[in-house]
Amino acid sequence: MLSQGIMKTLLSVVLSAVLFVVVARVAGQEDPIHGTLVVRGAKIYPVSGPPIEHGVLVVANGKIVAVGAEGKIPVPAGAVVQDATGKVLMPGIVDSHSHIGIDPNPTVADSGDANEMTGPIEPSLRALDAIDPADPNIRMATAGGVTTANILPGSGNVMGGQSAYVKLRGNTIEQMLIPGTIGGMKMANGTNPKGYGRRDQAPMTRMEEAALARGIYEKAQQYQEKWNAYKKALAAGDKTAKEPDRDLGLDAVVEILEGKRTVHNHSHRADDIMTVLRLSEEFHYRVVVHHGSEACQVANELAKRHVPVSYTMVDSPGGKLETINIDMSCPGILEKAGVKVAFNTDDPITPSRLLLRQAALGVRGGMSQEAALKGLTIYPAEMLDLGNRVGTLEPGKDADFIILSGEPFSIYTHVLETWIEGQRVFDRSNPRDLHYATGGFAVASHYPSLQGGGN
Amino acid sequence: MRALGSVGLLLSVASFALPLHAQKLAVVADHIYTMAPGTQGGSGIILISEGKIEAVTSGTNLKPPSGYQVLRAAYVTPGLIDVDTSAGISGAYNIPQDQDEDEASDPNTADVRSLDSFNPNEILLKYVNRFGVTTIQSAPGPRNPIAGRAGIFKTVGPESPSATADQLAIRPESAMIFNLGDTPKSTYAGAHKPPMTRMKTAEIIRRALTDAAAYQQKWEKWKKDGSDATKLPTRDARLEALVPVVSGVMPAVFNVYRADDIITAIRIGNEFHLKYMLASVTEGYLVRDEIRKAAVPCLVGPIMQRPESPQTANATYEIAALLEQAGIPIALISGYEGYVPKNRVLLFEAGIAAANGLGMEKALRAVTIDAAQILGIQDRVGSLITGKDADVVLFDGDPFEYTSHVLGVIVSGQVSYQKK
Repeated sequence: MLSQGIMKTLLSVVLSAVLFVVVARVAGQEDPIHGTLVVRGAKIYPVSGPPIEHGVLVVANGKIVAVGAEGKIPVPAGAVVQDATGKVLMPGIVDSHSHIGIDPNPTVADSGDANEMTGPIEPSLRALDAIDPADPNIRMATAGGVTTANILPGSGNVMGGQSAYVKLRGNTIEQMLIPGTIGGMKMANGTNPKGYGRRDQAPMTRMEEAALARGIYEKAQQYQEKWNAYKKALAAGDKTAKEPDRDLGLDAVVEILEGKRTVHNHSHRADDIMTVLRLSEEFHYRVVVHHGSEACQVANELAKRHVPVSYTMVDSPGGKLETINIDMSCPGILEKAGVKVAFNTDDPITPSRLLLRQAALGVRGGMSQEAALKGLTIYPAEMLDLGNRVGTLEPGKDADFIILSGEPFSIYTHVLETWIEGQRVFDRSNPRDLHYATGGFAVASHYPSLQGGGN
Repeated sequence: MRALGSVGLLLSVASFALPLHAQKLAVVADHIYTMAPGTQGGSGIILISEGKIEAVTSGTNLKPPSGYQVLRAAYVTPGLIDVDTSAGISGAYNIPQDQDEDEASDPNTADVRSLDSFNPNEILLKYVNRFGVTTIQSAPGPRNPIAGRAGIFKTVGPESPSATADQLAIRPESAMIFNLGDTPKSTYAGAHKPPMTRMKTAEIIRRALTDAAAYQQKWEKWKKDGSDATKLPTRDARLEALVPVVSGVMPAVFNVYRADDIITAIRIGNEFHLKYMLASVTEGYLVRDEIRKAAVPCLVGPIMQRPESPQTANATYEIAALLEQAGIPIALISGYEGYVPKNRVLLFEAGIAAANGLGMEKALRAVTIDAAQILGIQDRVGSLITGKDADVVLFDGDPFEYTSHVLGVIVSGQVSYQKK
């Protein structure tokens, strides 16, 4: 659609013009790295293959040039070399469900912009128009090793608006957006959209939620047909063909029908998840089930349809009826059934600083370490159609990686450094960055120093 | 990874179906953290009989005596003690029917007790018990300046599942809860009722404590004057509830987040010579010297408290370590949550504290023996020594590691949870 074309052009112009400035501003305390960077000595989890005990990562121009065992791959002369012996290196974490920037820190009256609770179907809304790149939550996310995020509108509406696929760097949303991406579409069913019932407005029931969803897709199908007919007439040389009226929202829904935009569907209860599957089959669109609190109850249904789950791991059941059956064993059950599972933060529901923890709890609940690592990296990347760009450490991919003090799933491990496209955006050894990991960044000048240096 | 010390032992426990009412248990472990004075983490055996710790013997290759059901684990700790939680009175469903923690109909509800809201069948009690929590101080919620009285309970009882709150209670009225800061304001401001400001919250508390002291004097005078039934002073349930507080018998717990609110709590505590403690203590690291000088214990946390609200914006994972290093007695809490997750798990909160400067052993102290001492229940729980309640947690690795598992939980000598 037209809007998309303009946006892409704008983006590429803006991005190429400002990329250098962005890097310099965000890295802040240090000059951006030019030329080639080599990180050597770490145990590397490339995710695309088995771990490498004494690995080398070679990076140039924001991209990965080579990954391999020390001595097995050539290290270019003149490179900046960083020793990471005894540490662990893995791809930057991809958070497939976050509200950083749109639910800023601290949340006070009027600062939250995730839910436009004035109508349950809002496909024309764009998260990118409400994301604050200065939100400290974004820096806290990089302190947790998150490099890429899907920032979504909230779950108050059946169709809440367009999400944004971003890298966690930059001073404007244009600098954050990943070039060539248009984001997904947030949908929700179950408890939250029923909130309108409190005002005696639709939807008051799950039936109506589904009916509203069906309604917008049917409308979009008609709209699509009208435009197709118009384009066909134009192509046939019909100069009298009348251009149909534009509708911003339907433009975005047509992108879903065309397979260009993935639906990210908030859904907890097993029957709600089945409704998500029913709708996606009826209108032939690509969908990711988000939260999936009871997804393991319908694991085979998800596996059969190759629908992945972006799972939110929370510490206890309840808070609302549809999350009463939450259990740590769910991701492992999904894995065994053949469902691809990503771990998300749903920040502020869980903290971006501890996304590694959420996957580790998946391991505690019975998931394999391999699947849990993929659930932080390549699986969420695939859910955002970014699997060719991020999520593993392979030559040609973006140089998004993190350096850890130990094994990824130990509670005693800290994220030491976070790198996005070859530039360091978080460095735990820098006092200015440290308090985005621990907390207390707003009072850093009064923050007492911890004896023993915080492990 | 540090976890998973002993997978084989895990299997030997898991394959073993215990009768619920086993009278005598022997727990054999590679690393026993008794939390009694002395070195921790050695191997040994714990004998349990009639709900109490019968004996703890250190050493390797010890043979359990006959007649005891044997449980094996890599790590063993005392049952964990959560010194401030709303579990038991704030239910998992989060609907009006199961939310009994905040009597937000008046800013002073000193007369209410969590005992009278406590639901022993609440699923969150059993849930936290699965993660080793055996004792809790269940406290009224954050909305009232004077919120009412907390009680100390076991999470699961010997008569489980039919135990009553009274049977679970170690101390049915353990502390008076006061709340300062943003929450009481936002509770009443909408209705244009006091408090709308921090000034008023402090004033409500000071006025009530002043009135309670006068009330106490009035009764003392009446007694001194001969207890004349015709001159009986009028009884007032709220003032009566505050009398043990102003007379320094019942601890006052001030739930505070911002540094200035912490200082206000200290000001009030000192003015009325209260026996008091601070809870949450989010910005406590900014006023460590003042807290140490006031010599008040801190009920710290939850460590993973969200920094989203203005009064918690400066929360740090290092809070427990920073207070402990200043010489302030600390215990850890799960606190109160209003949404998803509805409840925090003390074991997980302590783990984050351990990994952020406190270290494993001190974090363990803060949820066992130090917690028991702060609550004054160390004669019953908090360490594994002969004669104390047999509240024991069995793990297959470092208790705080993400990937460790709780293999079993024993409360008062009975197995309340066993990993399948």
